[in-house]
Amino acid sequence: MTFRAASRLLVASLAFLLIVPVATAGKGKVYGKKLSGKDTIKISELLANADQYVDKTVRVKGLIVGVCAKRGCWMEIASDKEFESIRFKVKDGVIVFPMEVQGKHAVAEGIFRKYDLSLDETRAMTEHLCTKRGENYDPTSVTEPGVYYQIEGLGARIK
Amino acid sequence: MSENETPRRGFRWRRLNNALHRDLGYLCVALTLIYAVSGVAVNHVDQWNPNYKIERVERAFDPIEVGERDVMVAALVERLDLPGPPNESFRPAPEIVHLFYDGWTVQANATLGTAVVEEPRDRLILRDANYLHLNHPKGWWTWVADAYAVLLFFLGVTGLFVLKGRQGLAGRGKWFVAAGLLVPLGFLAVLRWFA
Repeated sequence: MTFRAASRLLVASLAFLLIVPVATAGKGKVYGKKLSGKDTIKISELLANADQYVDKTVRVKGLIVGVCAKRGCWMEIASDKEFESIRFKVKDGVIVFPMEVQGKHAVAEGIFRKYDLSLDETRAMTEHLCTKRGENYDPTSVTEPGVYYQIEGLGARIK
Repeated sequence: MSENETPRRGFRWRRLNNALHRDLGYLCVALTLIYAVSGVAVNHVDQWNPNYKIERVERAFDPIEVGERDVMVAALVERLDLPGPPNESFRPAPEIVHLFYDGWTVQANATLGTAVVEEPRDRLILRDANYLHLNHPKGWWTWVADAYAVLLFFLGVTGLFVLKGRQGLAGRGKWFVAAGLLVPLGFLAVLRWFA
């Protein structure tokens, strides 16, 4: 290969390396599997009619309002309805969400799961939420076992 | 060589073994140091955050009336003297407001008049080391990490044969190898096999 040919190849390679991230920047970064292109369901609809969607693959979108600080193994996505959000949980190490994605927007796909909690588990979860919010926790306020919903994450696009 | 000495014949495998051990060892130094440092860091993930140092500052302010989110956000920005409106905001509960800025957040309880300003900072070098060690990039890096593992295996085996005689595997070396083997076997025996 001549020097001129090698120079051209190097320039072309560098240009490609620069163009590709610029061209894809507006589309956001994909974590995990590429999105399948399913219709998006509102998170409020998902939670209001949960039994219809349990164990089904769903696609949601929303503001990322929380991320696991240690392992990046979950992100909390805000609902279209106030005071609501849903956890998008992935297996440790399979997908890792950096803390920088807090405050960004996600389109995420996964399997909607329902977990029936025991009374003790419900109390523990309620106590955890109260602690996070800086509220006083009253164990007697939880009298019945609860249900917890989350999305078992497959992939997400964040921008 | 004198007239009475027989010329050495045969493949000089130890020379090749030592050359490969040396050169591949040099090749693996960087990744070994990265994996070693990251390994210790993530081993203690229950005691600390190996990727981020999260700075938290608690602030107090005059309580804000619970109402429309935008109104509460504007009031919080003023009372906490924040640098302008946030990029986004969210309320997990009527009196709890989360504000999102570039790289930092504010979580406030409007009724109690308390707020926590939180800014996660990357741990220098360590976050990148963990990123590689734990195979966060996936894809091509998986193959690179596999190749490194193969080289480590190779280094382990060739290392056994670098020296010969009393300093080698047949001499004092066998005791060190046995001691090294005893560590994992001992832990497995105590914690798993016979627990």
